[in-house]
Amino acid sequence: MNNEKVVLDNMSMQRALTRITYEIIEKNKGVNNLVLIGIKTRGVYLAKRIANRLKKLENTDVPVIELDITNYRDDKKEKNNSQKVATNVVDINEKNIVLVDDVLFTGRTVRAALGAINEIGRPKRINLAVLVDRGHHELPIRADFVGKNIPSSKDETIKVLVSEIDDRDGVEITKK
Amino acid sequence: MVKKYLILDDGTSFVGEAFGDLSTATGELAINSNLNNYQESLTDPLYHNQIITFTQPSIGNIGINPKSYESILTSAKGIVVHQEENISFSHLKNLSLNSFLKERHIPGICQIDTRALQKYVHTHNVKKASIVNNNDAHAFDQLQASVLSNQQIQSVATPKPYLVPGSGITIVVIDLGLRESIVRQLSKLNCNLIVVPWNTSFSEIKNLDPEGVVISSGPGSPEEIENSVIDNILEIQKELPLFGIGLGHELIAIVNGAKIKRLKIGHYGDNHPVKKIITNEIVYPHQAQDYAIVTDSVDTSKLIITYVDLINGTVQGLRSRDYPTFSVQFLPESALGIENNLDLFDEFIESVVAHRRVKYEL
Repeated sequence: MNNEKVVLDNMSMQRALTRITYEIIEKNKGVNNLVLIGIKTRGVYLAKRIANRLKKLENTDVPVIELDITNYRDDKKEKNNSQKVATNVVDINEKNIVLVDDVLFTGRTVRAALGAINEIGRPKRINLAVLVDRGHHELPIRADFVGKNIPSSKDETIKVLVSEIDDRDGVEITKK
Repeated sequence: MVKKYLILDDGTSFVGEAFGDLSTATGELAINSNLNNYQESLTDPLYHNQIITFTQPSIGNIGINPKSYESILTSAKGIVVHQEENISFSHLKNLSLNSFLKERHIPGICQIDTRALQKYVHTHNVKKASIVNNNDAHAFDQLQASVLSNQQIQSVATPKPYLVPGSGITIVVIDLGLRESIVRQLSKLNCNLIVVPWNTSFSEIKNLDPEGVVISSGPGSPEEIENSVIDNILEIQKELPLFGIGLGHELIAIVNGAKIKRLKIGHYGDNHPVKKIITNEIVYPHQAQDYAIVTDSVDTSKLIITYVDLINGTVQGLRSRDYPTFSVQFLPESALGIENNLDLFDEFIESVVAHRRVKYEL
């Protein structure tokens, strides 16, 4: 049975990323000293799109670090030491970081990401940008830049689709 | 057929036939190259006191319908067309262009080669024109002696505030010569609208407790507007999400230190590609401007240029670096065939919602 509901279509998703980009410029007072960190997998693509927009507006390349949080998850006991925490690493000491993820749900992913960032440096400030904030936070974590608030029930799944790896852009909600 | 003349302030005259009202008129000459939307243009306060020339050769073919008014009171002084059409199969039509013009006492002139007229106007410095019954020396003297009003906004903007109720977010619309399309678009998004006169003070607006403010398009020069309006916008910008359109965009630019110039030739049409810088998308919006922002005067530490006209290079969109303020020169509520590409009202409402979150959570 197909019970998917589109909550953000392609255009609304582009618009949300555009607005987040402007809000980052507004909050950060420009793009100097800025580094984006995308949480794998979809957070990376969203971070790259924001970086792409910043490049068009400000003509500056903002670095995008790809963060793998597998080893920092609180539901995994064993660490896989061969796993790299981050790729495309640049110096993040004293930088303003915008951490980018697709969905903010319990906040545990973000907590894990903060732990992982700790491993690669000590930034000046970390802000959080998410495409969707669906509520049910279990940790004292909130996003600074939100594409859309989607109040959801716990038995629903929210899927962010990015055309880089999915067949289209959008956000869909399905009931389990 | 009654002969009629279109005379220009450099002494040229074009002969044509009368239609619409048989009176005479004098005004600024605007050349409109839109393929459609003649009713919208005729009723748009933006064309207040202007004689509109349509270069699209066949005008009137869908009559006048109740859904396409941009204002109920007409603002244009006269209309110049090549072929006036009176045949229609439009299901919306209940009034022909000819009878509409007669009823509104607007003189028209047809059988003018409007494309030749456009070329002439673009190569000569023509500002004023008259639609007259005789092209004698007296008519030219009167045209020369006529003074165009600089009280444009005062004559078209609402003198009293009014409400357009909706179940959603409360938005104040500052009326500088409001096109109803702005109201339609915001109503579609369920906004609760309060339309206020052009000179409403910031404290009056604040007491209405809106979550965002829209400054409408309008006629006339942004430089002739009273300083109090500029001061108001400065205050609004600091506290509320703000969206400016047309004249509203020019005022937001002035508030943020940019300079305005009068274009050598006003541009009315939807044939210019405009680039949205952040995504490299191209749109063909409906543009109607006599003035433009001087690109070099834009202080890039305060403003980001968001849209650029690819034909004449003019700044078509701005965004503040410090506040949730943005504006566009073109008319975002209508674009030719690509309606979906212009979702600026959605963008505005979403930035109002984002601002609300920032305000209450921090």
